Amino acid sequence: MSTPEAGLLVALVGNPNTGKSTLFNALTGLRQRVGNYPGVTVARKSGTCDLGDGQKVELVDLPGLYSLAAASPDEQVVIDALSGNIAGDRRPDAVVLVVDSTNLLRNLFLASQVAELGRPVVIVLNQADVAKEQGLRIDIDLLSRRLGGVPVVLSSAWKGEGILDVRRAIASAVAKQTPMKRVVWPTNIAAALTDVATAAATDTGKQVSEADAQRLLFDTNPSTADRLGWTVTQRDKTLRSARDRVRNSGYNPMAAEPLVHYAHLRTVLEGVVTEGAGKAGRSAAVDRLLLHRFLGPVLFLGIMLGFFGSVFWLAKFPMAWIQSGVDWTKTVVAPPLDAYPMLQSLLADGIIGGVGAFLVFLPQILILFLFIGILEDSGYMARAAFIMDRLFSWCGLNGKSFVPLLSGFACAIPSLLSTRTIEDPKARLATAFVVPFMSCSARFPVYALMCAAFIGPLYGPGWESVVMVGMHCVGLLFAVPTAFVLTRLVLKVKPQPFVLELPRYQMPKPRDVLWRMWQNAAEFVSKAGTVIFAITIIVWALSYFPRDASVAERIKAANPAAAEEVVKAKVQAAYVEQSYMGRFGKAVQPIFDPLGFDWKITVGVLASFPAREVIVSTLGVTYSVGEGAKADSQHLRQAMQNAKWSEGPRAGTPIFSLAAVLALMVFFALCSQCGPTIATLAQETGGWKWAAGSFVYMTALAWIVATLVYQVVIRLS
Amino acid sequence: MNFEAIIVGVIVGFAVAWLARRWIAAARRRKEGGCARDCGCATKLKPKK
Repeated sequence: MSTPEAGLLVALVGNPNTGKSTLFNALTGLRQRVGNYPGVTVARKSGTCDLGDGQKVELVDLPGLYSLAAASPDEQVVIDALSGNIAGDRRPDAVVLVVDSTNLLRNLFLASQVAELGRPVVIVLNQADVAKEQGLRIDIDLLSRRLGGVPVVLSSAWKGEGILDVRRAIASAVAKQTPMKRVVWPTNIAAALTDVATAAATDTGKQVSEADAQRLLFDTNPSTADRLGWTVTQRDKTLRSARDRVRNSGYNPMAAEPLVHYAHLRTVLEGVVTEGAGKAGRSAAVDRLLLHRFLGPVLFLGIMLGFFGSVFWLAKFPMAWIQSGVDWTKTVVAPPLDAYPMLQSLLADGIIGGVGAFLVFLPQILILFLFIGILEDSGYMARAAFIMDRLFSWCGLNGKSFVPLLSGFACAIPSLLSTRTIEDPKARLATAFVVPFMSCSARFPVYALMCAAFIGPLYGPGWESVVMVGMHCVGLLFAVPTAFVLTRLVLKVKPQPFVLELPRYQMPKPRDVLWRMWQNAAEFVSKAGTVIFAITIIVWALSYFPRDASVAERIKAANPAAAEEVVKAKVQAAYVEQSYMGRFGKAVQPIFDPLGFDWKITVGVLASFPAREVIVSTLGVTYSVGEGAKADSQHLRQAMQNAKWSEGPRAGTPIFSLAAVLALMVFFALCSQCGPTIATLAQETGGWKWAAGSFVYMTALAWIVATLVYQVVIRLS
Repeated sequence: MNFEAIIVGVIVGFAVAWLARRWIAAARRRKEGGCARDCGCATKLKPKK
């Protein structure tokens, strides 16, 4: 994204949960994911910000972080971006520091570190409405003077208040180029920093800034030294003697930086904040109930059951309307093509049957993301992470693993990218390995199809949500022991404490929630119109060809007395069975026979290895090839309910028995069936070893567990 | 070969070519360290070497 007029770049920086992303939305007019738990922003997000005087700047939203000591990859990105060390990105012309008005001291620590970079700064005291509610009065003029005259503005991005002031403050910072007042280092530390900067510059022949020297002296992470090309042998002696110098002045070298900054900030904030009478936090009262040691998990389970139950109940009618629309389209498209049976089958069975079977789930996806948006924006998702923390800390995962694992319930790919917030590389690897176990939204249509076709009609609608919650727990059930073995026995990850900042409860903003719902719906429809559309055409071709005319003649000759409709059905079934897809499915089916899958399900399972939701459209095609010409063609659920084994010991019994349905859902809950996820895992782990390991492990586990489920349930029932 | 078979062949061929082209482009983007556009995010930041 570019800003043609000015070409100025402004970076938005702040602690997590300060409303940084909401402010970014308000300033740029763009929409992006607004999360309530830390570390949600791991990618570059930018937009054009109008400063109000016709001048436009490019605003870049950087990941939320607490300090500039790079401990995780996303923190390193912020430091690189602010220092101008990102390929293709300029050094920002100004930095907007977003600060939580209710916690100035802690938030200004990052601001104080950023000041060391010497860039013009704007301090935005966000969530000013909450500070006011709590009875806090902030003297922004005094704060501005104490910080060296940098603009300080109050805002409440969520309410849209103070946005114009922020725009004006950015314009002023860009024009005046006023840097923020920097911390005064004690003499010995200042001398140690000079020693480090001089030695690094001499050894590398590069310019070493004061900010670089601070990172070299205070951080154990070697990223700055690596970037400068300052080798271990070169830097070891210098850093040791500089840290000794810091130690001799009475500071622990690893704690000196925050101690000096906090001492500086306490002086700056003296008299800036005055406390009046305010409302006691309502969030704390609600949390006493929702985060209760025993009641909390029970309420969490209840919320999840209600959540999935509502998704089914509310989506029922719009799903029926879409199904009617699909059936109607078939009846309109098919008859005029009676003279062209191949083209008729491609349009009616392949394209309309396949894409239609997928599109039917649009209402459920819409409602699912509406509820996810409400839970996230209300602040409950962070509480869910807190509740789940007890479980995950038992299995040895790093506390920061919760955010990626929780977002894995929506999609594994951004979750894998968000593991960059985890400092410990081993913990990061273990988390990335178990992320694909989380039940992503692509599995949802598979569960939904099975529940709607079998669980609901057989056991009542209440059981649909129970099975749905159960299926979401299956992945978790196997992720926990997998993580336990990986962290304790294989990678030997050292346990680390987890600090989770719980955001205040707030009323979700309908515009943001609906926008996110719309974005997900658009993605779903776009997938149906592109990838699913192309795959259904290929699956149709493989299920249609070859068509040997002698097959029809043979069947007609063998059934001379049979009615025309019966013969036609037998011919269609024979055609599908002898198609490329039929032959392939039959050849591979013995592998899936212990799971109770017939050749059509086998084909669906195999076709869905690149993307698991493809099974719905594949079953839609394989169960409708030959049906297209009929005005009253059955839709997928009915076709599956009526499907029976035609041969073998199970001949005449339903293919989709309870055992087979559960086995199929368990297989999809555990199997690694997503090409982009495997590729992202390889990218994030730096090679194909762990990605291949994950694929083999998950697929083998899925086969074993699904077999056990089928064999046990079939014997019990 | 009749007209119907040609039309069907073109449609199927187009679908295969489109999917192959899409997957190759995504693989190339991933190899270059960029976003494969599977995740809905914007372009990733790449630190300078």
